Amino acid sequence: MKTKEIVIAVLLATGLVTFFLLLPRPAPVAQAADDTFPTHLLFEGVRLFDGERLHESMDVLVEGETIAAIAPHLAPPSGTKVVDGRGKTLLPGLIDAHTHTWGDALERALHFGVTTEIDMFTDAASAAEVRAQQKRGEAHGRADLVSAGTLVTAPGGHGTEYGIAIPTLDDPAGADAFVADRLAEGSDFIKIVYGEAGGHWPTLDAATLGAVITAAHEREALAVVHVSNREAARTALDLGADGLVHIWSDRPPDDEILALAAKHGAFVIPTLSVIAMMAGQPNLTALDEDPALAAYITPAEAGTLTQTIAGLPLRAERLEVARQATVALAEAGVPILAGTDAPNPGTAHGASLHGELSLLVEAGLTPTAALAAATSVPARAFGLDDRGRVASGLRADLVLVDGDPTQDIRRTRHIVGIWKAGRAVERRRGDADLADRASAPDVAVFARFDDGELDAAYGHGWQSTTDGMMGGQSTVTLELVSPGAAGSVGALSLRGSIRAGFPFPWAGGMIFPGAEPMTPVDFSSKQEVVFLARGDGASYRLMLFAESLGQIPASASFTAGEVWAEHRISLRDLAKDLRGVWGLAFAAGPSQGDFELMIDQVSIQ
Amino acid sequence: MNAATESLNAPDSSSAPVFHRRAPRRRYLRIFGLETRAELMKMVRMPAFVVPAFAFPLMFYALFGLAFGRGQEIGPVTMLGYLLATYGAFGVIGANLFSFGVGIAVERGQGWMLLKRAMPLPPLIHFLARMVVGMVFSLLILVGLFALGGFFGGVALPLPAWVKLAAWLTVGGLPFAAFGLFFGYLCGPNSAPAVINLLYLPLSFASGLWMPYEVLPGFFKALAPWLPAFHLAQQGLGIVGAETHASWTQSIVYLSAFTVVSLVAGIAAYRRDQESWG
Repeated sequence: MKTKEIVIAVLLATGLVTFFLLLPRPAPVAQAADDTFPTHLLFEGVRLFDGERLHESMDVLVEGETIAAIAPHLAPPSGTKVVDGRGKTLLPGLIDAHTHTWGDALERALHFGVTTEIDMFTDAASAAEVRAQQKRGEAHGRADLVSAGTLVTAPGGHGTEYGIAIPTLDDPAGADAFVADRLAEGSDFIKIVYGEAGGHWPTLDAATLGAVITAAHEREALAVVHVSNREAARTALDLGADGLVHIWSDRPPDDEILALAAKHGAFVIPTLSVIAMMAGQPNLTALDEDPALAAYITPAEAGTLTQTIAGLPLRAERLEVARQATVALAEAGVPILAGTDAPNPGTAHGASLHGELSLLVEAGLTPTAALAAATSVPARAFGLDDRGRVASGLRADLVLVDGDPTQDIRRTRHIVGIWKAGRAVERRRGDADLADRASAPDVAVFARFDDGELDAAYGHGWQSTTDGMMGGQSTVTLELVSPGAAGSVGALSLRGSIRAGFPFPWAGGMIFPGAEPMTPVDFSSKQEVVFLARGDGASYRLMLFAESLGQIPASASFTAGEVWAEHRISLRDLAKDLRGVWGLAFAAGPSQGDFELMIDQVSIQ
Repeated sequence: MNAATESLNAPDSSSAPVFHRRAPRRRYLRIFGLETRAELMKMVRMPAFVVPAFAFPLMFYALFGLAFGRGQEIGPVTMLGYLLATYGAFGVIGANLFSFGVGIAVERGQGWMLLKRAMPLPPLIHFLARMVVGMVFSLLILVGLFALGGFFGGVALPLPAWVKLAAWLTVGGLPFAAFGLFFGYLCGPNSAPAVINLLYLPLSFASGLWMPYEVLPGFFKALAPWLPAFHLAQQGLGIVGAETHASWTQSIVYLSAFTVVSLVAGIAAYRRDQESWG
């Protein structure tokens, strides 16, 4: 009797447990779709810079893409991923307020904690595409873009020199239609280039500048102005510009202009990084030598960081003036925004924002003010009200750094983690691409021109190259001629003419060592290029294109005389880092005139 | 084992049946077990009494949920998930009200409760046994509802939520046992079912157990937070993920107060009954 009852009780209990186990449960959607995107993320006991001020110890809870709660102590819901915040500082995702986003700029920026790039001029069509992707939520692996699209400049003015055809504006009457076109293209704000009359570039006149600013304001768009000197800055501020995208650097600030900027509530993006480059001090804060950043900087970025603009007269005093003006503006209550003008020479997307923060602090801003200049201040200035601060309800764009950047601004470089819209960002090492890069074949002889063709031992072969791609007028013809040097069958002849049209004209013959044009090849095993040359007695150049050199090739000159002579040019002297060579060229220029050059027996050994 | 229990277990106090002396504690347990078993057997052997209380919530759920509620949503949850919590509350309230209220009144009328008084059975143990039966009954109703909702209504909940919902409703139904106790001793055997139904059905409606609180007419919306069934259902709704209109604290405080008031009234009614029959 007793046993029977126990059996019944056990059976009933088992049945009940089985029943509950059999009841349907929701499919685990979120976790299966993306392991790296937990629905809940808690930063526990972290020092928090919320975009405006510092909190010594806080718990910050992220739910999905959004910051859900901030309090000294929070009880995390079950399943929350907890990040230990001790000794670390949580910052809003950084905003670079002055960039130009070409190629993989946005991906690169995110690697350094820059979750939003404000772009001051790029191709309007590609910006529109990026915006559409952002709207669809397809922009997780890169920084968000906020872009002016096409800038407003005079015919032939600054902005027209990059080889992309852009519309220009020449009188106030066209201003409203011009602004309307930009906004129709999707421009998030209007950027205008304004210089002094009689300067290096043709420029809009003050009346047109004023008309553009007015048109932008009538259409409820922000109007920001590129200036480089104080009087232009004064005019722009006087005409109601919402912001200046560079600090002036020609003359020290005076009380009048400070008062003017403060009165109009305008903001200023000093871009000290690029002004330092123009002062001959690119990479002033040695970003590529900082162990905290170096691992993530690519060879190409390292190359660009140390470059200056070729042929630009360097004016060292400009940096000091720019610093003075920046601090004076900040003290006058003018919002200062951190911007780099990447990817100009001397800068790199992402990494340079950390340099800009250091430069702002060295100029005299407090570290806290510098951090605000890269977070809450640009967000407010550009009306980005879903980001720029760590506050509940805002987007979870976050950077966790080791140490306290409000004490030492360089701690922003010590990134522990980056989250964009709640998703953890995986940082790739800067040399990650080098691992699967092809090495140059171990053959010395590259081309002999003896088989009746433009031969090349490897790569994509020979091609003519001229400044035509940059709007120049130079020409060149490549052909085989006979006989060649030292009794050989043939040689390569390069004939053409160097003409005015581009500031640094060139024309010549180019070799791409990779299977596709411009694919980098590891040339670390190569030492020098040896070749025979003869010609019209003029001076020619061997140009080396490598990632570590940025966009500007390194060159060595040689003279091609009446008789064949051997030339040896050391590649090591042209570039220290040969891991990413994507082109070599024999070229004439920059001196103008017709030229004739013959090349034979080219070896790369 | 301490000295007290050892003395209670002494042979002289446990060997013979005892009428007016206190039985040892272990004996109480045994009586409780037997009484629970007897009450359960009563439930199994007299299904006519149990089946309606079991069938009503399931029938309503099938009708308003499975038949008419498909594809509808109430805030963040489906209508079928929502009604699982409210008809669950409806079911357990019924189980307890009928077990204590109608059950006691009818058995009083049959003289069975009088007979019980002559047994060596402390009344508290009888009521505890009834409570257990009420809980088992509640659980049965919930199993039926969960089976309908889970296997036919597409309701999917995490395992802890299923268990929590069953546990909350089963335990949260107990205050209604106290409420039932009062009516069981207040009403006569013939009037009890009518009186209790007269309270049970409107109370259920006004508490949002039949129709979601969100769609109740304004008057009932204002009234609902003052009704105990509302609080039982609201916290069940919280477990299935629906919006709630009362916090856990509010509901627990309210239901506790309701229990205390019902118990005081129930005990008073019980005493009055003892006096009139004794």
